[in-house]
Amino acid sequence: MTAFILRRLGFVVLVLVAVSMLVFTITALLPANVAYLILGSFAPPDQVKALELKLGLTDPIWQQYARWAAGFLSGDLGESPLMKRPIAPMLWEAVSRSLMLTGFSFVLIALIGVGLGMLAALRHGRALDHGISIATYIGIAVPEFFWSIVVIIVFASWLGWLPASGYEPMSAGFWVWLTHLIAPTITLVFGHLAHVSRLTRSSMIEVMQSPYVNAARAKGLPERVVVFHHALRNALLPTITVLALDFGRLMGGIVVVETVFAYPGLGRLVVFSIQNRDLPTLQAAILVVAAMYALANLVADLLYAWLNPKIRFGGHVS
Amino acid sequence: MIRVEDLTIRYRTPGGEIEALTSVSFSIARGSTLALVGESGSGKSTVALAAMGILPGEARIASGKILFDGEDLMALSAEARREIRGSRMGLVFQDPFSVLNPSLKIGEQVGEGLVHKRGYTPKQALVRAIELLDEVGIRQPEVVAEAYPHQLSGGMRQRALIAGALASEPELLILDEPTTALDVTIEAQILELLETLRARRNLTMLFISHNLGVVRRIADEAAVLYAGEIVERGPTVALLSNPTHPYSKGLLAAIPRIGERKTRLASIPGRLPDLRTPPQGCRFASRCPFAQPQCAASQTLMESGARAVRCGRADALVGVPWPHLDDGAGVSEPVRRTTAEPVVMVENLTKTFTIGHAPWAFEGWRPTRKPICISPVNGISLEIAAGEALGLVGESGSGKTTLGRTILRLIELESGTIRIAGEDVSHLPQSALEPMRRAAQIVFQNPDSSLNPRKTIGDLLARPLVRFGLAPAAEVPARVKALLDLVRLPAHYQDRYAHQMSGGEKQRVGIALALATEPRFIVCDEPVSALDVSVQAAIINLLADLKDRLGVAYLFISHDISVVAHLCDRIAVMRHGEMVEIGPVDEIIERPKHAYTRKLVAAVPRVDGVSGGHPA
Repeated sequence: MTAFILRRLGFVVLVLVAVSMLVFTITALLPANVAYLILGSFAPPDQVKALELKLGLTDPIWQQYARWAAGFLSGDLGESPLMKRPIAPMLWEAVSRSLMLTGFSFVLIALIGVGLGMLAALRHGRALDHGISIATYIGIAVPEFFWSIVVIIVFASWLGWLPASGYEPMSAGFWVWLTHLIAPTITLVFGHLAHVSRLTRSSMIEVMQSPYVNAARAKGLPERVVVFHHALRNALLPTITVLALDFGRLMGGIVVVETVFAYPGLGRLVVFSIQNRDLPTLQAAILVVAAMYALANLVADLLYAWLNPKIRFGGHVS
Repeated sequence: MIRVEDLTIRYRTPGGEIEALTSVSFSIARGSTLALVGESGSGKSTVALAAMGILPGEARIASGKILFDGEDLMALSAEARREIRGSRMGLVFQDPFSVLNPSLKIGEQVGEGLVHKRGYTPKQALVRAIELLDEVGIRQPEVVAEAYPHQLSGGMRQRALIAGALASEPELLILDEPTTALDVTIEAQILELLETLRARRNLTMLFISHNLGVVRRIADEAAVLYAGEIVERGPTVALLSNPTHPYSKGLLAAIPRIGERKTRLASIPGRLPDLRTPPQGCRFASRCPFAQPQCAASQTLMESGARAVRCGRADALVGVPWPHLDDGAGVSEPVRRTTAEPVVMVENLTKTFTIGHAPWAFEGWRPTRKPICISPVNGISLEIAAGEALGLVGESGSGKTTLGRTILRLIELESGTIRIAGEDVSHLPQSALEPMRRAAQIVFQNPDSSLNPRKTIGDLLARPLVRFGLAPAAEVPARVKALLDLVRLPAHYQDRYAHQMSGGEKQRVGIALALATEPRFIVCDEPVSALDVSVQAAIINLLADLKDRLGVAYLFISHDISVVAHLCDRIAVMRHGEMVEIGPVDEIIERPKHAYTRKLVAAVPRVDGVSGGHPA
């Protein structure tokens, strides 16, 4: 098992190295010049040259990459040439806000998605099953920006329960903080339920028809034990893999949702730095997204192994 | 103890309602065993599920009563029935490989009934589970209790299932084909275990099986089920030695028996009637060689003494044997070429799989990991002559299938030589194996998974003809017809898809497919194991005919020694990848030299052998 974890961690590191190279090369090839960005578009060419030399922009790209990567590893993410302040604190702030949002949404997606999937499976072929299918399909079929607007119209304009946009820190009061999170969370959750609930439904239906569930019934166990203890454990295995993928999709989904709700998180930071050609910030932000994606998949793999004894214990007994 | 009265059960299917059981009645006295015998589709598993009260949602009980200890189970609430199952009634399922929950420990699965039914704490239940595992003959029960199902062998899993069913000390144990998925030696152990338990606990058992040898050993009484109806019932020994109903006669005649001389087996032609609209009269009439016009009238189960039979002509048929039906081809003259060199010569063949690695260790200065290897084929040598069938027997995991596939180079060999039709093919690259692929073919166990479901039978059979350029395009349809004729399928079957045929018909296509290239050697890998007895007989006859007529050599792999003994000329016995004994059939069966062979042969349950049950 230790070897298994170490090997997986090794893969994560490899993925991050590859992503960082890719991100660095692509952004370095973009038609954006940091020197111009700092000095303004109408700066005299000799000043630009001098700054380029100073920033090492004329060095071969691998040298630039090595310098950047070394800085990254020592925790120095550089300075945003646009906002004239260090990237690291700015980025961590954005990441922590986005993690609140994705974390909330993720937990709700997992709980509601698995719950709905189970309900649909146990009422297989009846009205409730069809209702759940249709609702979750609508959720995934219509893009997130649409749901964002619907949520704003319903909860902010009509009902007036929630603020339409923005973010308030916890220091402004727990309720104020929470109400700013709810609207974007609803949007994210609704757009991602279908994956989890559909997969849980189909694997639950399959498991409920399996011989071992029949055998559990033959033992006269209460239906609650049959469903939760015998069936769910096995039915959740495929769901876990999809949940990890969904975490990655959430990280992509927040770009849209944060923009619509004016929520100052990682997604907005990425959009902002792209629009303004703030390459160092963009590189750092994308790498963070990739790292979270890779870690989510690592956790899924480990969880899968932990739940599935065939991976946890390979060998035979006597 | 349990009495089933007039039970009729229907299943809703997309094609209409199927009557799975039609007024089935039987009763079992406390402490005795009733065997329910029948082929697939006879409805025998439905009886078990109905008695337990766990029929699937599409089933509907149309009429009838199930009385358990005098109490009408149908009148009870769902909750009350749940209370009875798992405490006073236990069920052991057929396939120990899928019946245990893969993600729960054995100890928990054996003991959980006690937690929910008898108010044990999980800890007490585990202690009791270990005792039960010990009682069913599992060594190191503490270790096994902590293991997961995939870590155990099939025999151990079946024991664990029985332990689980016994946990709550049920009065009635229902066993649905409990030994079908197991090797004969394990089967013998399980049967012995059941006999001991029955004596010790005064268990009442309903034993469902298609294997008449097993039934003879375990049951006091037997009931034969055909198309949802009980057609005959009586004390086991009397019924098996002197069957009255034509179907029972046919079933018994179709079984190959060890030590009987090689004639063709009797087979039962035709197939089950469509149960959406069951025939008004005798349901077996369309397949019955004794059928007369009066059989179109509805038949009742007539009792006479301890026996009952559903056949109006029963009195006339007493003592009349099942006729040997000529199923299409007369036994033709053998065309054996005894002088030619063997078609297959295998010398010192070895195949090793690496199944894992030992932990890192230093070997001198170098860190290395030793691979952990198993050799399912270890130094095997054999020869098969034209027109000869070599039977290959052994328990599962002994390397039979790997040997067959390695000889055909479907699995790459490690060392040794393979000569097929005189040519050394052991080290040719796959691209140069074309002539060998023509000369050597394989028939797989499961025709469902080996026939492409999206192609018609005609397309499937034409494929090898075109692939090997065996016939000009214009002649292909005629050749396909000839192949179908060879395996005795009507020519219009070429337009069918695999799912439109019965299991036996599919296996005939599998054989036709192997014969398409006019091979000199065929590996038959458990070709009849997935088939019912009556169908199995027809396929064995077909293989025997083809061998004699075409002079094909077979390597016939089977776990069923009676089948091998019937069809083959010589038998090779494999164990742990090694060949422990090889010789003519009579020698192996009657005078086995190796202890393992003796054990294997002795374990085969025989229809005419000893009866382990109480004398009726």
